[in-house]
Amino acid sequence: MRVYQRQVYNLCLRMLGSAAAEDAAQEAFIAAYRRLSSFRGGSFRAWLLRIAANICFDELRRHRSRPAASLEAALEGGSPEDVPSQSAGPEEEALRRELARHLQQGLATVPADQRLAIILRDIHGLSYEELTEALGCSLGTVKSRIARGRARMREYLMARRELLPRQFRLKE
Amino acid sequence: MLEALLQFRHRRFRRDLSAYLDNMLSERARLRLEVHLDSCQACRQELAELRSAVEALGSLPMAEVPRSFALAGAAVAEVRPRPAVRRLEFGLRLATATAAFALALVVIGDFTGLPGGGKEEKELAAPVPAAEDRAQAVQGEEGLLAATPAATGTPAPTEAAPAETPAGVEAPPVGTPLPAEGEAPVETPSAAETPAGVEAPPVGTPLPVEGEAPAETPSAAETPVTPPSGYAEVQPPTPAVGAGAPEEGTPEKEATERAGVEEKAEAGAAYGVAAEEEGGGLSREEVVRWLEVGLGAGTGALVLVWAFVRFERRIGNRP
Repeated sequence: MRVYQRQVYNLCLRMLGSAAAEDAAQEAFIAAYRRLSSFRGGSFRAWLLRIAANICFDELRRHRSRPAASLEAALEGGSPEDVPSQSAGPEEEALRRELARHLQQGLATVPADQRLAIILRDIHGLSYEELTEALGCSLGTVKSRIARGRARMREYLMARRELLPRQFRLKE
Repeated sequence: MLEALLQFRHRRFRRDLSAYLDNMLSERARLRLEVHLDSCQACRQELAELRSAVEALGSLPMAEVPRSFALAGAAVAEVRPRPAVRRLEFGLRLATATAAFALALVVIGDFTGLPGGGKEEKELAAPVPAAEDRAQAVQGEEGLLAATPAATGTPAPTEAAPAETPAGVEAPPVGTPLPAEGEAPVETPSAAETPAGVEAPPVGTPLPVEGEAPAETPSAAETPVTPPSGYAEVQPPTPAVGAGAPEEGTPEKEATERAGVEEKAEAGAAYGVAAEEEGGGLSREEVVRWLEVGLGAGTGALVLVWAFVRFERRIGNRP
Protein backbone atom coordinates (compact mmCIF):
# COMPACT_ATOMS: atom_id res chain seq x y z
CA MET A 1 0.00 0.00 0.00
CA ARG A 2 2.80 2.35 0.93
CA VAL A 3 4.56 1.62 -2.36
CA TYR A 4 1.40 2.45 -4.27
CA GLN A 5 0.91 5.64 -2.29
CA ARG A 6 4.37 6.73 -3.28
CA GLN A 7 3.83 5.89 -6.92
CA VAL A 8 0.50 7.70 -7.09
CA TYR A 9 1.80 10.72 -5.24
CA ASN A 10 4.88 10.96 -7.46
CA LEU A 11 2.84 10.68 -10.62
CA CYS A 12 0.63 13.54 -9.43
CA LEU A 13 3.70 15.48 -8.39
CA ARG A 14 5.29 15.21 -11.83
CA MET A 15 2.05 15.86 -13.65
CA LEU A 16 0.75 18.75 -11.56
CA GLY A 17 3.55 20.09 -9.41
CA SER A 18 3.75 19.92 -5.64
CA ALA A 19 0.92 22.34 -4.94
CA ALA A 20 -1.87 20.18 -6.32
CA ALA A 21 -0.24 16.76 -6.03
CA GLU A 22 -1.37 15.95 -2.52
CA ASP A 23 -5.04 16.60 -3.14
CA ALA A 24 -4.94 14.79 -6.47
CA ALA A 25 -3.29 11.75 -4.89
CA GLN A 26 -5.93 11.64 -2.17
CA GLU A 27 -8.66 11.99 -4.74
CA ALA A 28 -7.09 9.17 -6.76
CA PHE A 29 -7.19 6.84 -3.78
CA ILE A 30 -10.81 7.67 -3.06
CA ALA A 31 -11.68 7.08 -6.72
CA ALA A 32 -9.74 3.80 -6.69
CA TYR A 33 -11.59 2.71 -3.55
CA ARG A 34 -14.91 3.43 -5.21
CA ARG A 35 -14.02 1.55 -8.36
CA LEU A 36 -12.24 -1.33 -6.72
CA SER A 37 -14.92 -3.70 -7.99
CA SER A 38 -14.18 -2.65 -11.57
CA PHE A 39 -10.60 -3.93 -11.34
CA ARG A 40 -10.46 -6.81 -13.81
CA GLY A 41 -7.08 -8.29 -13.12
CA GLY A 42 -3.87 -7.35 -14.90
CA SER A 43 -1.41 -4.98 -13.35
CA PHE A 44 -2.86 -3.34 -10.26
CA ARG A 45 -0.18 -0.68 -10.39
CA ALA A 46 -1.14 0.21 -13.97
CA TRP A 47 -4.83 0.30 -13.02
CA LEU A 48 -4.18 2.54 -10.04
CA LEU A 49 -1.88 4.85 -11.99
CA ARG A 50 -4.46 5.14 -14.73
CA ILE A 51 -7.01 6.37 -12.19
CA ALA A 52 -4.44 8.82 -10.84
CA ALA A 53 -3.65 9.95 -14.38
CA ASN A 54 -7.33 10.61 -15.06
CA ILE A 55 -7.55 12.68 -11.89
CA CYS A 56 -4.52 14.64 -13.06
CA PHE A 57 -6.10 15.26 -16.47
CA ASP A 58 -9.28 16.48 -14.76
CA GLU A 59 -7.20 18.82 -12.65
CA LEU A 60 -5.34 20.08 -15.73
CA ARG A 61 -8.65 20.72 -17.48
CA ARG A 62 -9.91 22.64 -14.47
CA HIS A 63 -6.80 24.75 -14.53
CA ARG A 64 -7.19 25.39 -18.22
CA SER A 65 -10.72 26.67 -17.67
CA ARG A 66 -9.35 29.09 -15.08
CA PRO A 67 -6.61 30.94 -16.93
CA ALA A 68 -5.92 33.19 -13.96
CA ALA A 69 -4.14 30.37 -12.20
CA SER A 70 -1.38 29.34 -14.54
CA LEU A 71 -0.54 25.71 -14.20
CA GLU A 72 2.69 26.23 -16.07
CA ALA A 73 3.87 28.48 -13.30
CA ALA A 74 2.59 26.09 -10.64
CA LEU A 75 4.30 23.18 -12.36
CA GLU A 76 7.59 24.94 -12.88
CA GLY A 77 7.62 26.18 -9.34
CA GLY A 78 6.45 22.81 -8.15
CA SER A 79 9.84 21.23 -7.87
CA PRO A 80 9.56 18.92 -4.90
CA GLU A 81 11.60 20.08 -1.96
CA ASP A 82 10.99 16.94 0.01
CA VAL A 83 13.07 14.70 -2.22
CA PRO A 84 15.20 12.58 0.06
CA SER A 85 18.86 13.34 0.07
CA GLN A 86 20.58 10.11 -0.83
CA SER A 87 23.87 11.70 -1.76
CA ALA A 88 26.64 12.26 0.72
CA GLY A 89 27.94 15.71 -0.07
CA PRO A 90 25.95 18.92 0.02
CA GLU A 91 27.36 19.92 -3.37
CA GLU A 92 26.05 16.83 -5.05
CA GLU A 93 22.75 17.35 -3.33
CA ALA A 94 22.59 20.89 -4.69
CA LEU A 95 23.34 19.64 -8.20
CA ARG A 96 20.68 17.00 -7.91
CA ARG A 97 18.15 19.58 -6.86
CA GLU A 98 19.13 21.79 -9.72
CA LEU A 99 18.70 18.96 -12.20
CA ALA A 100 15.35 18.02 -10.65
CA ARG A 101 14.17 21.59 -11.03
CA HIS A 102 15.17 21.67 -14.69
CA LEU A 103 13.55 18.35 -15.36
CA GLN A 104 10.33 19.48 -13.73
CA GLN A 105 10.34 22.63 -15.79
CA GLY A 106 11.10 20.60 -18.89
CA LEU A 107 8.23 18.24 -18.15
CA ALA A 108 5.92 21.24 -17.87
CA THR A 109 6.64 22.09 -21.51
CA VAL A 110 5.66 18.64 -22.77
CA PRO A 111 1.99 18.10 -23.72
CA ALA A 112 0.10 16.27 -20.98
CA ASP A 113 -0.43 12.95 -22.78
CA GLN A 114 3.25 12.71 -23.75
CA ARG A 115 4.29 13.90 -20.31
CA LEU A 116 2.26 11.14 -18.69
CA ALA A 117 3.84 8.57 -21.01
CA ILE A 118 7.44 9.54 -20.27
CA ILE A 119 6.79 9.94 -16.54
CA LEU A 120 5.37 6.44 -16.35
CA ARG A 121 8.07 4.97 -18.56
CA ASP A 122 11.23 6.79 -17.50
CA ILE A 123 10.52 7.72 -13.90
CA HIS A 124 8.18 4.95 -12.78
CA GLY A 125 9.73 2.35 -15.03
CA LEU A 126 6.51 0.80 -16.30
CA SER A 127 6.86 -1.80 -19.04
CA TYR A 128 5.27 -1.09 -22.40
CA GLU A 129 2.62 -3.66 -21.63
CA GLU A 130 1.75 -1.89 -18.40
CA LEU A 131 1.77 1.39 -20.27
CA THR A 132 -0.90 0.21 -22.69
CA GLU A 133 -3.04 -0.54 -19.62
CA ALA A 134 -2.22 2.64 -17.78
CA LEU A 135 -2.72 4.89 -20.80
CA GLY A 136 -5.55 2.85 -22.25
CA CYS A 137 -4.15 2.91 -25.77
CA SER A 138 -2.36 0.71 -28.26
CA LEU A 139 1.30 -0.18 -28.20
CA GLY A 140 1.89 1.95 -31.29
CA THR A 141 0.37 5.00 -29.60
CA VAL A 142 2.40 4.36 -26.46
CA LYS A 143 5.63 4.20 -28.48
CA SER A 144 4.77 7.32 -30.39
CA ARG A 145 3.90 9.33 -27.26
CA ILE A 146 7.07 8.26 -25.54
CA ALA A 147 9.16 9.10 -28.60
CA ARG A 148 7.63 12.56 -28.98
CA GLY A 149 7.77 13.28 -25.26
CA ARG A 150 11.41 12.27 -25.06
CA ALA A 151 12.25 14.31 -28.13
CA ARG A 152 10.77 17.39 -26.46
CA MET A 153 12.61 16.72 -23.24
CA ARG A 154 15.83 16.27 -25.19
CA GLU A 155 15.32 19.60 -26.95
CA TYR A 156 14.54 21.35 -23.67
CA LEU A 157 17.55 19.93 -21.86
CA MET A 158 19.96 20.43 -24.75
CA ALA A 159 18.95 24.07 -24.99
CA ARG A 160 20.06 24.42 -21.37
CA ARG A 161 22.91 22.00 -21.35
CA GLU A 162 25.29 24.44 -19.74
CA LEU A 163 22.98 24.58 -16.72
CA LEU A 164 22.92 20.85 -16.27
CA PRO A 165 25.21 18.86 -14.01
CA ARG A 166 28.37 17.67 -15.65
CA GLN A 167 27.35 14.07 -16.17
CA PHE A 168 24.43 15.16 -18.35
CA ARG A 169 26.48 17.48 -20.49
CA LEU A 170 27.26 15.89 -23.79
CA LYS A 171 30.37 16.54 -25.76
CA GLU A 172 29.67 18.34 -28.99
CA MET B 1 16.26 13.12 -55.48
CA LEU B 2 18.61 10.80 -53.68
CA GLU B 3 19.06 13.50 -51.06
CA ALA B 4 15.29 13.65 -50.46
CA LEU B 5 15.08 9.89 -50.13
CA LEU B 6 17.95 9.84 -47.65
CA GLN B 7 16.28 12.64 -45.69
CA PHE B 8 13.05 10.67 -45.57
CA ARG B 9 14.85 7.56 -44.35
CA HIS B 10 16.74 9.60 -41.82
CA ARG B 11 13.53 11.00 -40.38
CA ARG B 12 12.08 7.54 -40.10
CA PHE B 13 15.15 6.30 -38.24
CA ARG B 14 14.97 9.25 -35.90
CA ARG B 15 11.46 8.19 -34.96
CA ASP B 16 12.76 4.73 -34.07
CA LEU B 17 15.48 5.96 -31.73
CA SER B 18 13.26 6.05 -28.66
CA ALA B 19 11.99 2.50 -29.17
CA TYR B 20 15.55 1.41 -29.87
CA LEU B 21 16.60 2.69 -26.45
CA ASP B 22 13.94 0.51 -24.86
CA ASN B 23 14.80 -2.43 -27.07
CA MET B 24 11.28 -2.33 -28.48
CA LEU B 25 12.17 -2.57 -32.17
CA SER B 26 11.74 -5.69 -34.20
CA GLU B 27 14.91 -7.54 -35.07
CA ARG B 28 14.84 -6.29 -38.67
CA ALA B 29 14.15 -2.69 -37.73
CA ARG B 30 16.88 -2.77 -35.13
CA LEU B 31 19.46 -4.07 -37.61
CA ARG B 32 18.46 -1.49 -40.19
CA LEU B 33 18.75 1.30 -37.62
CA GLU B 34 22.15 0.10 -36.43
CA VAL B 35 23.42 0.08 -40.00
CA HIS B 36 22.10 3.61 -40.39
CA LEU B 37 23.66 4.73 -37.09
CA ASP B 38 27.04 3.55 -38.32
CA SER B 39 26.86 5.97 -41.19
CA CYS B 40 24.88 8.86 -39.65
CA GLN B 41 26.63 11.10 -37.15
CA ALA B 42 23.51 13.24 -36.53
CA CYS B 43 21.48 10.20 -35.53
CA ARG B 44 24.25 8.97 -33.25
CA GLN B 45 24.33 12.36 -31.61
CA GLU B 46 20.59 12.43 -31.21
CA LEU B 47 20.55 8.93 -29.77
CA ALA B 48 23.17 9.94 -27.21
CA GLU B 49 21.19 13.03 -26.22
CA LEU B 50 18.01 11.06 -25.99
CA ARG B 51 19.69 8.48 -23.80
CA SER B 52 21.01 11.27 -21.65
CA ALA B 53 17.55 12.79 -21.24
CA VAL B 54 16.09 9.40 -20.33
CA GLU B 55 18.83 8.82 -17.79
CA ALA B 56 18.25 12.25 -16.32
CA LEU B 57 14.57 11.48 -15.92
CA GLY B 58 15.42 8.11 -14.43
CA SER B 59 17.73 9.76 -11.93
CA LEU B 60 14.84 11.72 -10.45
CA PRO B 61 14.28 10.26 -7.01
CA MET B 62 10.82 9.32 -5.93
CA ALA B 63 9.58 11.88 -3.45
CA GLU B 64 8.42 10.73 -0.04
CA VAL B 65 4.72 10.79 0.57
CA PRO B 66 3.92 13.85 2.71
CA ARG B 67 1.14 12.01 4.50
CA SER B 68 -0.72 8.75 4.29
CA PHE B 69 -3.40 8.55 1.63
CA ALA B 70 -4.87 5.41 3.14
CA LEU B 71 -8.52 6.21 3.48
CA ALA B 72 -9.14 7.57 6.92
CA GLY B 73 -12.44 7.19 8.75
CA ALA B 74 -13.86 10.42 7.41
CA ALA B 75 -12.91 9.66 3.83
CA VAL B 76 -14.38 6.16 4.03
CA ALA B 77 -17.57 7.53 5.51
CA GLU B 78 -17.75 9.94 2.63
CA VAL B 79 -17.32 7.13 0.16
CA ARG B 80 -19.62 4.59 1.78
CA PRO B 81 -22.37 5.77 4.11
CA ARG B 82 -22.98 3.74 7.25
CA PRO B 83 -25.08 0.60 6.68
CA ALA B 84 -27.98 1.94 8.73
CA VAL B 85 -28.10 5.11 6.69
CA ARG B 86 -27.86 3.13 3.48
CA ARG B 87 -30.69 0.87 4.60
CA LEU B 88 -32.84 3.84 5.56
CA GLU B 89 -32.08 5.50 2.29
CA PHE B 90 -32.85 2.35 0.35
CA GLY B 91 -36.07 1.99 2.32
CA LEU B 92 -37.14 5.51 1.50
CA ARG B 93 -36.28 5.05 -2.15
CA LEU B 94 -38.27 1.83 -2.15
CA ALA B 95 -41.08 3.67 -0.42
CA THR B 96 -41.04 6.33 -3.09
CA ALA B 97 -41.66 3.86 -5.84
CA THR B 98 -44.24 1.89 -3.86
CA ALA B 99 -45.99 5.00 -2.62
CA ALA B 100 -46.08 6.61 -6.03
CA PHE B 101 -47.54 3.42 -7.49
CA ALA B 102 -50.02 3.03 -4.65
CA LEU B 103 -51.03 6.68 -4.77
CA ALA B 104 -51.74 6.35 -8.46
CA LEU B 105 -53.96 3.35 -7.74
CA VAL B 106 -55.66 5.14 -4.87
CA VAL B 107 -56.42 8.20 -6.95
CA ILE B 108 -57.65 6.11 -9.86
CA GLY B 109 -59.66 3.95 -7.48
CA ASP B 110 -61.11 6.95 -5.72
CA PHE B 111 -62.25 8.61 -8.92
CA THR B 112 -63.52 5.54 -10.76
CA GLY B 113 -64.64 3.66 -7.66
CA LEU B 114 -66.71 6.35 -5.94
CA PRO B 115 -69.47 6.94 -8.46
CA GLY B 116 -69.17 3.60 -10.25
CA GLY B 117 -68.65 1.29 -7.31
CA GLY B 118 -72.23 0.95 -6.22
CA LYS B 119 -73.65 0.68 -9.72
CA GLU B 120 -71.16 -1.93 -10.75
CA GLU B 121 -71.95 -3.98 -7.75
CA LYS B 122 -75.62 -3.71 -8.38
CA GLU B 123 -75.26 -4.87 -11.95
CA LEU B 124 -72.85 -7.57 -11.09
CA ALA B 125 -74.63 -8.80 -8.05
CA ALA B 126 -77.90 -9.10 -9.96
CA PRO B 127 -76.90 -12.13 -12.05
CA VAL B 128 -76.24 -14.08 -8.90
CA PRO B 129 -79.66 -15.59 -8.34
CA ALA B 130 -79.42 -16.14 -4.61
CA ALA B 131 -78.41 -12.54 -3.96
CA GLU B 132 -81.50 -10.81 -5.40
CA ASP B 133 -82.51 -9.18 -2.14
CA ARG B 134 -78.93 -8.33 -1.44
CA ALA B 135 -78.72 -6.37 -4.67
CA GLN B 136 -81.81 -4.42 -3.69
CA ALA B 137 -80.26 -3.63 -0.39
CA VAL B 138 -77.24 -2.39 -2.20
CA GLN B 139 -79.47 -0.19 -4.36
CA GLY B 140 -80.95 1.23 -1.19
CA GLU B 141 -77.69 2.07 0.28
CA GLU B 142 -75.88 3.13 -2.86
CA GLY B 143 -73.00 3.97 -0.55
CA LEU B 144 -69.55 4.22 -1.86
CA LEU B 145 -67.78 1.21 -0.55
CA ALA B 146 -70.29 0.41 2.14
CA ALA B 147 -71.74 -2.06 -0.33
CA THR B 148 -70.57 -5.11 1.45
CA PRO B 149 -71.87 -4.40 4.91
CA ALA B 150 -75.17 -3.68 3.18
CA ALA B 151 -74.90 -6.86 1.18
CA THR B 152 -76.15 -8.80 4.12
CA GLY B 153 -79.43 -6.87 4.04
CA THR B 154 -80.64 -8.06 7.40
CA PRO B 155 -80.21 -5.79 10.40
CA ALA B 156 -78.24 -8.27 12.44
CA PRO B 157 -75.34 -8.59 9.99
CA THR B 158 -75.35 -4.83 9.45
CA GLU B 159 -74.58 -4.52 13.09
CA ALA B 160 -71.94 -7.12 12.75
CA ALA B 161 -70.43 -5.42 9.76
CA PRO B 162 -69.36 -2.19 11.45
CA ALA B 163 -67.77 -4.26 14.10
CA GLU B 164 -65.68 -6.00 11.49
CA THR B 165 -64.96 -3.23 9.03
CA PRO B 166 -62.75 -1.13 11.28
CA ALA B 167 -60.46 -4.09 11.66
CA GLY B 168 -60.16 -4.63 7.94
CA VAL B 169 -60.77 -1.69 5.70
CA GLU B 170 -60.49 -4.20 2.91
CA ALA B 171 -63.74 -5.81 3.94
CA PRO B 172 -65.86 -4.32 1.16
CA PRO B 173 -63.59 -5.25 -1.71
CA VAL B 174 -63.14 -8.73 -0.39
CA GLY B 175 -66.82 -9.31 -0.86
CA THR B 176 -67.14 -7.48 -4.14
CA PRO B 177 -64.66 -9.28 -6.37
CA LEU B 178 -66.59 -12.48 -6.21
CA PRO B 179 -69.12 -11.74 -8.91
CA ALA B 180 -66.70 -9.55 -10.79
CA GLU B 181 -63.96 -12.03 -11.55
CA GLY B 182 -62.37 -10.18 -14.48
CA GLU B 183 -64.07 -6.81 -14.15
CA ALA B 184 -61.54 -4.05 -13.91
CA PRO B 185 -63.58 -1.40 -12.07
CA VAL B 186 -64.45 -3.73 -9.25
CA GLU B 187 -60.91 -4.81 -8.91
CA THR B 188 -59.70 -1.28 -8.73
CA PRO B 189 -61.13 -0.50 -5.29
CA SER B 190 -59.60 -3.63 -3.89
CA ALA B 191 -56.29 -2.57 -5.35
CA ALA B 192 -56.94 0.90 -4.09
CA GLU B 193 -57.46 -0.36 -0.60
CA THR B 194 -54.48 -2.63 -0.36
CA PRO B 195 -51.96 0.14 -0.90
CA ALA B 196 -53.18 1.65 2.34
CA GLY B 197 -51.66 -1.39 3.97
CA VAL B 198 -48.65 -1.25 1.74
CA GLU B 199 -48.30 2.41 2.37
CA ALA B 200 -48.00 2.39 6.12
CA PRO B 201 -44.44 1.03 6.23
CA PRO B 202 -42.79 3.70 4.12
CA VAL B 203 -43.69 6.37 6.61
CA GLY B 204 -42.32 4.45 9.52
CA THR B 205 -39.12 2.51 9.25
CA PRO B 206 -38.56 1.18 5.77
CA LEU B 207 -37.86 -2.39 6.71
CA PRO B 208 -41.20 -3.21 8.32
CA VAL B 209 -42.59 -3.58 4.79
CA GLU B 210 -42.25 -7.30 5.23
CA GLY B 211 -43.55 -7.20 8.77
CA GLU B 212 -46.59 -5.09 8.29
CA ALA B 213 -47.96 -6.54 5.10
CA PRO B 214 -48.60 -9.92 6.66
CA ALA B 215 -50.07 -8.20 9.71
CA GLU B 216 -52.59 -6.62 7.41
CA THR B 217 -53.46 -9.82 5.63
CA PRO B 218 -54.83 -11.69 8.64
CA SER B 219 -57.19 -8.83 9.43
CA ALA B 220 -58.51 -9.07 5.92
CA ALA B 221 -58.59 -12.80 6.17
CA GLU B 222 -60.93 -12.41 9.11
CA THR B 223 -63.57 -10.79 6.99
CA PRO B 224 -64.56 -13.82 4.97
CA VAL B 225 -65.25 -15.57 8.22
CA THR B 226 -67.85 -13.03 9.37
CA PRO B 227 -70.19 -12.61 6.40
CA PRO B 228 -71.22 -16.27 6.33
CA SER B 229 -74.03 -15.42 8.76
CA GLY B 230 -75.97 -13.87 5.88
CA TYR B 231 -75.16 -16.05 2.91
CA ALA B 232 -73.11 -18.81 4.25
CA GLU B 233 -74.74 -21.52 2.12
CA VAL B 234 -74.88 -19.55 -1.06
CA GLN B 235 -71.38 -18.30 -1.52
CA PRO B 236 -69.01 -19.32 1.16
CA PRO B 237 -66.62 -20.98 -1.27
CA THR B 238 -66.76 -18.13 -3.75
CA PRO B 239 -65.84 -15.36 -1.34
CA ALA B 240 -63.10 -17.53 -0.03
CA VAL B 241 -61.71 -17.81 -3.53
CA GLY B 242 -62.49 -14.21 -4.29
CA ALA B 243 -60.88 -13.05 -1.11
CA GLY B 244 -58.03 -15.47 -1.38
CA ALA B 245 -57.03 -14.52 -4.86
CA PRO B 246 -56.50 -10.82 -4.36
CA GLU B 247 -54.94 -11.31 -0.97
CA GLU B 248 -52.48 -13.79 -2.31
CA GLY B 249 -51.96 -11.61 -5.29
CA THR B 250 -51.10 -8.60 -3.22
CA PRO B 251 -48.01 -9.93 -1.52
CA GLU B 252 -46.93 -11.35 -4.83
CA LYS B 253 -47.41 -8.02 -6.50
CA GLU B 254 -45.65 -6.41 -3.63
CA ALA B 255 -42.78 -8.80 -3.97
CA THR B 256 -42.42 -8.22 -7.68
CA GLU B 257 -42.75 -4.54 -7.10
CA ARG B 258 -40.06 -4.66 -4.51
CA ALA B 259 -37.85 -6.68 -6.81
CA GLY B 260 -38.45 -4.11 -9.49
CA VAL B 261 -37.57 -1.30 -7.19
CA GLU B 262 -34.47 -3.12 -6.09
CA GLU B 263 -33.45 -3.43 -9.69
CA LYS B 264 -34.18 0.20 -10.12
CA ALA B 265 -32.13 1.05 -7.09
CA GLU B 266 -29.27 -1.09 -8.33
CA ALA B 267 -29.53 0.50 -11.73
CA GLY B 268 -29.53 3.84 -10.00
CA ALA B 269 -26.47 2.90 -8.02
CA ALA B 270 -24.78 1.68 -11.16
CA TYR B 271 -25.69 4.89 -12.87
CA GLY B 272 -24.26 6.75 -9.92
CA VAL B 273 -20.99 4.94 -10.20
CA ALA B 274 -20.91 5.51 -13.93
CA ALA B 275 -21.63 9.16 -13.45
CA GLU B 276 -18.96 9.41 -10.81
CA GLU B 277 -16.54 7.70 -13.10
CA GLU B 278 -17.26 10.26 -15.71
CA GLY B 279 -16.62 12.80 -13.02
CA GLY B 280 -19.45 15.13 -14.00
CA GLY B 281 -22.74 13.62 -12.83
CA LEU B 282 -22.12 13.40 -9.14
CA SER B 283 -24.25 16.34 -8.14
CA ARG B 284 -27.09 15.21 -10.40
CA GLU B 285 -27.05 11.82 -8.71
CA GLU B 286 -27.20 13.51 -5.33
CA VAL B 287 -30.14 15.61 -6.39
CA VAL B 288 -32.02 12.59 -7.69
CA ARG B 289 -31.31 10.69 -4.51
CA TRP B 290 -32.58 13.40 -2.22
CA LEU B 291 -35.56 14.00 -4.45
CA GLU B 292 -36.44 10.35 -4.16
CA VAL B 293 -35.95 10.27 -0.43
CA GLY B 294 -38.02 13.39 0.07
CA LEU B 295 -40.70 12.24 -2.30
CA GLY B 296 -40.87 8.90 -0.52
CA ALA B 297 -41.34 10.47 2.88
CA GLY B 298 -43.82 13.03 1.54
CA THR B 299 -45.93 10.58 -0.41
CA GLY B 300 -45.96 8.15 2.47
CA ALA B 301 -47.21 10.84 4.83
CA LEU B 302 -49.79 11.99 2.30
CA VAL B 303 -51.18 8.51 1.86
CA LEU B 304 -51.30 7.99 5.59
CA VAL B 305 -53.24 11.21 6.00
CA TRP B 306 -55.53 10.20 3.18
CA ALA B 307 -56.11 6.78 4.75
CA PHE B 308 -56.81 8.38 8.12
CA VAL B 309 -59.28 10.92 6.72
CA ARG B 310 -60.97 8.25 4.69
CA PHE B 311 -61.28 6.01 7.69
CA GLU B 312 -62.71 8.80 9.83
CA ARG B 313 -65.26 9.71 7.19
CA ARG B 314 -66.32 6.11 6.90
CA ILE B 315 -66.89 5.92 10.61
CA GLY B 316 -68.76 9.21 10.57
CA ASN B 317 -71.07 8.16 7.75
CA ARG B 318 -71.95 4.99 9.39
CA PRO B 319 -75.34 5.08 11.17
